[in-house]
Amino acid sequence: MKILALDTSSQSASCAILEDDKLLGEFYGNVNLTHSQTIMPMVESLLTQTRVALSEIGLFAVTEGPGSFTGLRIGLSAVKGMAHALEKPCAGVSTLEALAWNLCGPDCVVAPVLDARCSQVYTALFRWKDGVLIRLAPDEAITIKELSTRLKNLGTCVLLVGDGAKMCYTILKDELPGLGLVSPAARFTRAASVALAAQRIAARGGTVAPDALAPAYLRLPQAERELLAKQKNA
Amino acid sequence: MITFTSHSTAETEQFAAGFAAELRPGDVVACRGGMGMGKTAFARGLARGLGLVDDVSSPTFALVHEYTNGNIPLYHFDMYRVSGFDELYSTGFFDYLDQGGVLFIEWSENIESALPPGTIALTLARIDDNTREITIEGERF
Repeated sequence: MKILALDTSSQSASCAILEDDKLLGEFYGNVNLTHSQTIMPMVESLLTQTRVALSEIGLFAVTEGPGSFTGLRIGLSAVKGMAHALEKPCAGVSTLEALAWNLCGPDCVVAPVLDARCSQVYTALFRWKDGVLIRLAPDEAITIKELSTRLKNLGTCVLLVGDGAKMCYTILKDELPGLGLVSPAARFTRAASVALAAQRIAARGGTVAPDALAPAYLRLPQAERELLAKQKNA
Repeated sequence: MITFTSHSTAETEQFAAGFAAELRPGDVVACRGGMGMGKTAFARGLARGLGLVDDVSSPTFALVHEYTNGNIPLYHFDMYRVSGFDELYSTGFFDYLDQGGVLFIEWSENIESALPPGTIALTLARIDDNTREITIEGERF
C-alpha cells in the first residue's frame, strides 16, 4: 500500500510517498515560507516525479501536533481534503513520535523537542530497543528547566531531535554531558518518518476517517499563563 | 531612544512612515497607549513607509490584519482581548514571528512576557487633546 505523508507542523515542511519498506520519494523544505503556499505544489511535484497517481494512495498520514497553530491546521486541512475526496483512511501521527522515527536504527534514547517559545518546549521521551519504539513519556509542554531536570534524572545518553534541539543542546550541554545533537539531515520533522509511523498505526488498526482527524494542541505551562493574566489586571 | 512630539493624527502618520525606513524584516514593534492615542494612525504610517498599498484598520475583531501588497509585509495585531498564553498561541502570533515581516502590536502590555528578545518598544502618551509624545526604545534606537 502507498502512503502519502505530509508535515507542516513546525519550521520545515515536507511530503513523502512510502510503499511498504520503500521510500518512493520525499520533498523537504525549510525556508521560512508560508506552508500554505508551498505544501500543495510540493505534493503535486512529488506525485509527478514519482509517477504515482493520487488515486493510488491507500492511506494519508499527517502530523497532528504538537506544533505551530497555523502549521498544524494547514497540514490537517490538506490531508482531510484529499482523503475525503478519495474516500481513503487517514493516520494522525504525533509530531514528537515522528521525530523519534528519524532515529530508527541502533538502540538509543530520544528526546524530541519543538520550540514552543518563551523558554518552553513540546517534548516527549522514547527508547529504540531492538527496532521497537518504546514511549517513556507522553507528549507535553514543559519549560526548558523542567526538561533539564527530566533528562538529568534519566542518567543515560539522550539524543535531541526537532526544531528546538539545537537551542536546548546549547543551553543544556554543559550540565548534561550525555546529551547528543542529531545531524541537520535528521534533526527536523520528515514526512518519510511520518509515513513510517503511520504504517505501524495502520498495522494495529488505528487509522481513522478524514473527519476524525483533529489537531492535538498542547496546553502551555500554567505559570506562564498566569503571568500574562496578572499583567493585564495590573 | 527616539522621542517626537506630534500635534495631529497626520503628523503621527508622517513620523511613523519615516520611522518605517529603519525597520527590518523580523522586527517586532510593541505599542503601548490607550484608546485614541493614535495607534492605528501609527500603523497606517508604518504600512505606507514600508511601501504597502493595503488599507489599514484596527484589527479589534480579527485580532490580526495582514498587509502584504508591497516590499516588507506588516502584521498588525490587537492584543486587547488576549489574556493568556493559549489564546495568544491561537492567534498564530508565534508563527508570524518567523515569516519575515514586521509585527506591529497594539495593547502589547497584555503579552509582555511573550515578546521576543530585541522587541522595539513604542509608547504613545497624551499631552493634550491633539498632542502626543511618541517614544521609541530598542537596541538600535
